[in-house]
Amino acid sequence: MRESLFQGLGIVSTLAYGALIAWLYATAPRSLGEVATGARVAAGTYQVDQARFDAGLRLFRAEQFRAARDEWGRADPAQRDARTQFYIAYAFYREGWGRVYKDDALYRQGTLAVNRAIALHPAAPLAVADPTLRMRTAAELKAELEKGAERRWDDLNPLKLLDPRK
Amino acid sequence: MTDARGQRAFVHYVVLPLVLMTVALLGGLRVAADRGFLFVTPPLVTLVLAGLLMALFVRGGLVRPAAWVRGDRPLLSNLAHILTLGALFAASVQAFNSVLPEEGLLHWLFSFFFLWTLWNNQFSPFDPARLLRSLAVLFGTAFALKHMLLAGLRPAESGWMGRVAAALLQGVSLGTLDVPAFAPATGYISFFTVVLYVGGLMLVPAAPGGDEVRRLARAYLSLGPDERARLREAIEDDDDAGPEDAARTRRRLPG
Repeated sequence: MRESLFQGLGIVSTLAYGALIAWLYATAPRSLGEVATGARVAAGTYQVDQARFDAGLRLFRAEQFRAARDEWGRADPAQRDARTQFYIAYAFYREGWGRVYKDDALYRQGTLAVNRAIALHPAAPLAVADPTLRMRTAAELKAELEKGAERRWDDLNPLKLLDPRK
Repeated sequence: MTDARGQRAFVHYVVLPLVLMTVALLGGLRVAADRGFLFVTPPLVTLVLAGLLMALFVRGGLVRPAAWVRGDRPLLSNLAHILTLGALFAASVQAFNSVLPEEGLLHWLFSFFFLWTLWNNQFSPFDPARLLRSLAVLFGTAFALKHMLLAGLRPAESGWMGRVAAALLQGVSLGTLDVPAFAPATGYISFFTVVLYVGGLMLVPAAPGGDEVRRLARAYLSLGPDERARLREAIEDDDDAGPEDAARTRRRLPG
């Protein structure tokens, strides 16, 4: 009887441990904090830190884009919230935008972030109801970021200097 | 079930798989220079090496598969044993992963060194104790080479002699001997992994339940000639007797 108990316990613990190892190697967390965040995501209890998100939004509206991204990165460490990823992409867009020059590296990072946002919101097109933004859907933002990172003859058109920042 | 038998069952069914799974967890863990975790998945060659090592376990008598999984055992017991053998394979894969350099020419040199040794050992006579000693030396040597010798040749972390040696090594090898930089904690984790692996191998019984048979054999040998004769008679009687007769026989036995 006791042997059967130990056998059952051994089977359950080995399978659970194996699943944990597979999960760790699949998600590759960089720290114990990321392990905890990943566990919350796996358990379905993960939530964005709303206070940090709001702090990031205030910085964004004050044109402090790097600081805003930093706050949003802390608010959503697992990069699982579509809205936060949308704002991060928007911060890359606004920081990379210049009247005569667009920063390709920032635009590429923005494209990655907006792609994450779209992937996290597969059921319907992602839209953010923020009246201070001129692009309120992920599709618009993605198109703008991709267009900005491309090199075309159209870039030499002097009328492009009049294009507004969105 | 006696206490000693219960403890043996606990070690065999619970502790041993957990030790082996811990090796499987830690074998691929590295700590980067910025102190972040890196989980290195095992390269294909470690699966081949672990396969050869499992064959060596069977040839060396460390594991007797026919005694681990048998048709006349309960399903639960067979399942527990299959999982333990799986854990042993996973631990072996990750033990190799822990002591193999991650990339470059050294990765292949170490892999070849392991392959050559394991292949030669397939044709050598081994008993379990000798096999364990041989494996401890094999893993210990690889650990010392990777985490002590090669890690010491990293230019940023050594003195001017180390820097000169590293520069010479890089120059001679045209950069193929490049070693990724990890935090010193990686070496400690690898040491713990190798020790845990060898310790886990010591816990692996060749045939589960064989300990009880050996204990009974020792008890038989400790009896005098008259008592042995009575015991044999009792066993012969038992072969034809029902459960009640068997209980009566047990009462007749010494002790």
